[in-house]
Amino acid sequence: MRVSAVVRFREMPEYCYVAEGFEDAVRQFEEHAPLAEVKTEFAIPEKDFNTAGKGSSELKNLLKRLGVDSVVLRRIAVASYEAEINVAAHSKGGIMYGTVYDDLIHVRFEDEGPGIANIEQAMTPGFSTADDLVRELGFGAGLGLPNIKKNSDAMRLVSVAGGRTKLEFLIYFAGRFE
Amino acid sequence: MNKKDSPYFHAIQILEDNCTGCTACVRVCPTEAIRVRDRKADIDPYRCVDCGNCMDVCEFHAIIPSSDPLDIINNYKYKVVIISSSFFGQFTEDVSYAAAKQAVLQLGFDEVAEEAMVTDFMISIIRDYIRENRDKRPILGSNCPAVVRLIQVKYPSLLPNLLHQEAPMSILTRYLRDKIAREHNLKDEEIGIFLIVPCVAHVTAVHQPEGAYKHLQDGAFSTGMIYGRVREILKDIQNHPVDIDTYPQGLTWALSGVQADLVDTDDIRALSVNGVENVMDILSKIEDHYLDQYDYVVLRTCTNGCVGGCLNVENPFVAMSRIKKMSKEGTNNEIHVEELQELYDQGEFTVSPLAPRPIMELDKDIKKAIQKMKKINEFLTMLPGLNCSACGSPTCYALAEDIVLGKASIDDCLVLRRGNPDGDDDK
Repeated sequence: MRVSAVVRFREMPEYCYVAEGFEDAVRQFEEHAPLAEVKTEFAIPEKDFNTAGKGSSELKNLLKRLGVDSVVLRRIAVASYEAEINVAAHSKGGIMYGTVYDDLIHVRFEDEGPGIANIEQAMTPGFSTADDLVRELGFGAGLGLPNIKKNSDAMRLVSVAGGRTKLEFLIYFAGRFE
Repeated sequence: MNKKDSPYFHAIQILEDNCTGCTACVRVCPTEAIRVRDRKADIDPYRCVDCGNCMDVCEFHAIIPSSDPLDIINNYKYKVVIISSSFFGQFTEDVSYAAAKQAVLQLGFDEVAEEAMVTDFMISIIRDYIRENRDKRPILGSNCPAVVRLIQVKYPSLLPNLLHQEAPMSILTRYLRDKIAREHNLKDEEIGIFLIVPCVAHVTAVHQPEGAYKHLQDGAFSTGMIYGRVREILKDIQNHPVDIDTYPQGLTWALSGVQADLVDTDDIRALSVNGVENVMDILSKIEDHYLDQYDYVVLRTCTNGCVGGCLNVENPFVAMSRIKKMSKEGTNNEIHVEELQELYDQGEFTVSPLAPRPIMELDKDIKKAIQKMKKINEFLTMLPGLNCSACGSPTCYALAEDIVLGKASIDDCLVLRRGNPDGDDDK
């Protein structure tokens, strides 16, 4: 994925994943991403579970209007909802950016910290650092990040303890089994 | 919005002479199907799901239901009426359930049946279906025709999750048709089977059933219309004892929450939702796989379920309370389900897979759709963002979309025109 605009994330620990069969497509996208025509931006306030989920819901409606295949649409909806809830539950707030290209969507989340201490651990299903408030609301089962990975064609997580976190993923509209 | 070319039947009519162009209906439509153009409301038949919101909100009697006139029963030799379970909640408490039912029969029918007769049997069908389709979670109840159409229009990815079995009144229709033909030695076309229904979505479903393999009902009468006529007959029969079978326990089928509670058991977890806004919220969460822990979800677009239907005469909360009282005080007559079971075993109640009615797509070609979305966003930045509906579209976004799709012009925005009085006002 493109790294040009994220200088302050350089040198930070990161986790990268590209689904099997998408290596060439992702490399192509990183090197020659075209100019995107449709972009969206949603603020995610800290611990505001009334608002959290609205961004991914609006993104889903936008993709329905573009006629994205319903199976792919549901994968995008799950991944972006999980990530949006993560930002609301664990960070001091952040922003969700959705960028639509002809053949894929790039969704990026940037928050204000406090960062992830151990990325490998965060990627383990069932591991969670969610506090009591978050758990009381029914979140924090430790399946968020693994679920995002499962539904994405490519994913990257960059973070450092005490700093900011950036999560981005790509999902191709053509689906996985073609 | 050419209605003549539309393949879809709707039981909602606009009386243009009464319409003032006030846009109240435009703002309450869950699928954004209504526009006011040239000061008259117009419903897009591709988007309308027959929920009845627009009729409820119209103050000018300009949006009215259409249902069948009672005299169509005279086209048939043997006339049967099936009463939906919310009907008996409409009467004041001095009118007994049996008397109201007898009065319906005396409207000119040869036989009267009730949805309430088969609801117990329906529970077993639903449980079978949930257990046989473990790969799909949750299964979505298909009793409410407005919900079925809402899914076809806005949530097509959930179509495979629908319960693909006929609803109780259609099951009863199938059973009665066979039984009457056999017992009275009649041809299919000599038997007329009619429903008394609480909402316009059910009228639509009778005239254009989704996924039905066989000929079902021959007409649908509005609860309100029948109620008026039944009251006349009741004057004569109310003081005489009536001998007619009743099924008070089955009446609660009309109430939101009851079906889910009945289906819920050790291995089946059920959820119940009512009201169109709640239904849409839940469908969106199901789409996101956030309610996969449920095995069955019953959804109804009206408040409290079918007692909230727009063709009813009583308030949904009062009707609900009366039905609960009736159910507590009486017991069901016995019902023989052997023949129903036989038809079910033969697969006679199966519904064919439903097709989507996608309305959301801007274009079949995703590249063109993206270009249109870009233009919509450009128009959106020019519009005031008040969502006032004065242009006749529900929101500024909807107007921007209408402009890009060639259905409106930026000059339709009254707020922009007011700020620009020298503009092209007399186009």
